[in-house]
Amino acid sequence: MTNDTIDLDQLTGWLTRFRDLVTEKVAYLTELDSAIGDADHGSNMTRGMGAVLERIQASPVGTVDELFKGVGMTLVTSVGGASGPLYGTFFLRIGTTAGPVKALDASGLAAALRAGLDGVVARGKAEAGDKTMFDVLAPALDAFDAALIVSSDISSAARAAYSAARTGRDATEPLLARKGRASYLGERSIGHVDPGAASTSLLFQALAEILDEE
Amino acid sequence: MIGIVVVSHSPRLAQAAVDLAVEMVGVNGPAIAIAAGASEGVIGTDALKVSEAIAEVSSPEGVLVMMDLGSAVMSAEMALEFSDDPDVPVRLSSAPFVEGLMAAVVRAAGGATLDDVEREARGALRAKQSHLGDEEPAGRPADSGPAAEHTIQVMLLNPHGLHARPVSMLVTAISAFEATVTVANLRTGKPPVPANSPTALLAVGARKGDTISVAAAGRQAVAALEAVSDLVCKGFGELETTNAPAPIPALPAPQPEAPPSTKAASNRPLGVSPGLAVGPIVRMQEPMGEPGPAAELSMREREAAAERIVTAATSVALAFRAKAVRVNGAAQGILEATALMAADPGLIDAAVSRVTKQGHTPERAVWAAVGEVASLFSEQGGLLAERIPDLHDVRNRIVAELLGRPAPGLPDRSEPYVLVARDLAPADTALIDPKVCRAIVTVEGGPTSHTAILARALGLPAVVAARDAMDLPEGSVVIVDGTTGEIVVDPTDEQVVRAEGQVGRVVTFDGAGATRDGHRVQLLANVASPDSVAAAIEANAEGVGLFRTEFCFLDHAEAPGLDEQVAAYRQVFAAFPGKKVTIRTLDAGADKPLAFVTAADEVNPALGIRGYRTAWQRPELLDTQLRAIATAAAAEDAVVGVMAPMIATVDESADFAARCAAHGLHNVGVMIETPAAAITASSILERVDFASLGTNDLAQYTMAADRLMGELALLNDPWQPAVLRMIREACQAGVVAGKPVGVCGEAAADPMLAAVLVGFGATSLSMSPRALGGVAKLLRGVTLNQCRDAAIAAVAAGSADVARSAAAVLLEPTRV
Repeated sequence: MTNDTIDLDQLTGWLTRFRDLVTEKVAYLTELDSAIGDADHGSNMTRGMGAVLERIQASPVGTVDELFKGVGMTLVTSVGGASGPLYGTFFLRIGTTAGPVKALDASGLAAALRAGLDGVVARGKAEAGDKTMFDVLAPALDAFDAALIVSSDISSAARAAYSAARTGRDATEPLLARKGRASYLGERSIGHVDPGAASTSLLFQALAEILDEE
Repeated sequence: MIGIVVVSHSPRLAQAAVDLAVEMVGVNGPAIAIAAGASEGVIGTDALKVSEAIAEVSSPEGVLVMMDLGSAVMSAEMALEFSDDPDVPVRLSSAPFVEGLMAAVVRAAGGATLDDVEREARGALRAKQSHLGDEEPAGRPADSGPAAEHTIQVMLLNPHGLHARPVSMLVTAISAFEATVTVANLRTGKPPVPANSPTALLAVGARKGDTISVAAAGRQAVAALEAVSDLVCKGFGELETTNAPAPIPALPAPQPEAPPSTKAASNRPLGVSPGLAVGPIVRMQEPMGEPGPAAELSMREREAAAERIVTAATSVALAFRAKAVRVNGAAQGILEATALMAADPGLIDAAVSRVTKQGHTPERAVWAAVGEVASLFSEQGGLLAERIPDLHDVRNRIVAELLGRPAPGLPDRSEPYVLVARDLAPADTALIDPKVCRAIVTVEGGPTSHTAILARALGLPAVVAARDAMDLPEGSVVIVDGTTGEIVVDPTDEQVVRAEGQVGRVVTFDGAGATRDGHRVQLLANVASPDSVAAAIEANAEGVGLFRTEFCFLDHAEAPGLDEQVAAYRQVFAAFPGKKVTIRTLDAGADKPLAFVTAADEVNPALGIRGYRTAWQRPELLDTQLRAIATAAAAEDAVVGVMAPMIATVDESADFAARCAAHGLHNVGVMIETPAAAITASSILERVDFASLGTNDLAQYTMAADRLMGELALLNDPWQPAVLRMIREACQAGVVAGKPVGVCGEAAADPMLAAVLVGFGATSLSMSPRALGGVAKLLRGVTLNQCRDAAIAAVAAGSADVARSAAAVLLEPTRV
């Protein structure tokens, strides 16, 4: 399956799949978070993405920016934990960068995702190796961009991004947390995968899967 | 009033924190909105709620956002992106949630600006930190505001002292007045804190029964103090009405220590430099005014009048010349030049012609003639313009002479006198000759004025704020007590005899320096030549902390030979068998130039080749000197230490130690006179056995203020906190290294400062022999802990005045 563009339905599908994945993995995410945080990441993401899909179903949108601004605002008000403003900012920036369009081409999606990453960095002030979602988001987008150099197929780029995301997620395990509540644990945060990194990896899994299904 | 938004993961936490804070201000507090919890009662935060809360309490004066942690911070940041009213400044505060909120609410209730509230909130952990003793090591310099004009001392009567609620009442009460108020707890002796800061006030730690000193400056200072006094005496409404103790009235603060003020609140004369002196009053003449108009002189009066000008001018010129003979150096040249100006025929001719041709009075003629020359000088600018003050001095003196009045400015006397002046400019004070001026009395001035500082430096008794002093008749004899501020006019013979008996009386030193609790501090003498050994022995010095060797070299065209030096050093060593003598190698340069080591053309001699640096150019001089010292030390029984002056680097210290070792000298030290040496003292002490602080140069270099300039006396004060920190750095390095660090500068001779130095960890103090008794006496009256407390307070002070007064309070002998 190749995709040169991704339209509103596919993007909605991506979000739906993401909702399904976090719901499916709620116990896993919460378990990760109970090791180094406040044991709410699974339930927060499930609740947040649940609210997102409810909103989309209740009031359908006509453009990509409307879609993602709605997603962002919903996450901000419903997640509660730090992932609220972080994922919220991520999707809000995607929306503003995408603009009032019905679909995105590969480079448009890459630019929007990159703006989302920049938003996360501005919000969370995280750097590589801080054991945060950044450690997945950044390598995944690098892989996404790299794949687009050889082909404009969004599906293969999304697969490359997911692959990099998994690697990034696993690489957070030996790290010492330097941001968020996990940082209070100091040395004890070592040996656990970061829950935010894990959910971000699910985000790319969702993208790769939704594009491959078609 | 600003608005406050409280962002928390938990609505219960937010509500409880707000309840706690609002208790302090009641209904008069700022608008507060809570943004807590995410949707559906979930623990968390919601950026949208934060944004709504900001809008709810929005005020043109701004909104302060207090947050608990994590997502609260990010949600608040996000909310800022949602709220975009440019007319409402919104500030996110990193302050601790509970304490910060409380501080912010109290401060905001007093109408403070967003900046002030935010700053206050950020410092809100101070009270807790101070209570638990884990303040930042650097400490927070107390912002005690401008010099206080009025001070009261009141005792706290309410059961729990200055706790949160009374603090809040105090802050609110004071905010109504146009006054800057500070509060200090006399029990702890810590520096005063600003009374508009609730957290700082809590950190004062004032309990029931403590006396607090409240100082106020500003237009409504008195009213503010009355309000404070009222609150305190009523126990902040916390007293049991049935058995309320009688309110303790506000006491006037003791002078001079308590208020570091230049305008004393009291009308009483203030003793600012201790000591007793007897002498006739000489008034410093006030500046001369332009002579008034007078009728035209008749033709026959004119010739005699013109003659008088010539006579007066000649007499003034002669006086300048006579003065020039008595001084040397630069001053001599200036006085000679001024004498020439007074006798300038051009000037005299111009004045004379105004008399003979226009019939002006001589004084008006001189005034006008000089005025013409001065305006010429002024047009030329540059160096000529700088001579205008001299020209005016000449004019004033000639006119005074013509009018039969005493010359203006500092009196020119050779007999002892007591100087009475309205106030003294730094330039005046720098010219005072302590050999003839016995005491200083001024109408203006305070304990930290130039007059006070200079008088203390010169060891002259001084009294300031003597309001009626200018009315005292010239020539009448007075007894001036610089300790109590008392001035006895026309004393009885008996009083004079008694006072004169006391003048010469020196407190004696018993030969073993120690604090009251037995902490030993060696009290040593500074010795400048074999001739001054007798004074040191007579004063019971425990040894010599600074044996200057320059005397050996002065008046020599070349360095003295080995034998001459050995003989000179032996004289001093021989006088102290079994005792410590610390000899300093040649310290030439700057204000002590020596032809054979100092270049005459240095642009900046104080920063030039001086002290140890002269050994770069003439290493053989140092080697000869070290050999002489080693030879002399071997021949006598003194415990000799040798040290180098003006060290700036660790390498220099190591070099010096190596050179000394080569001559068999093993007790080797360096002077710490540069900030460079002070801050690297710990490394320097790895290379040498001891160090000795030269506080005069250390002050000059730390403050970048030429110590020879009277105008900079306020900066050159060793009580400057910056200088104290340098001293502390070096002393602490000694404590850590377990090596002695002493002080041999002027600072050691100031009894109070000596105690502070002991508090820093100084192991010995070396001073001029006559100062030993006073220093020993003060140390005997205080404990080591008092010294340490005084040291901590002084170093934390914001200014030299505050440092001095804080130390004074803590070093009262009655305190334990």
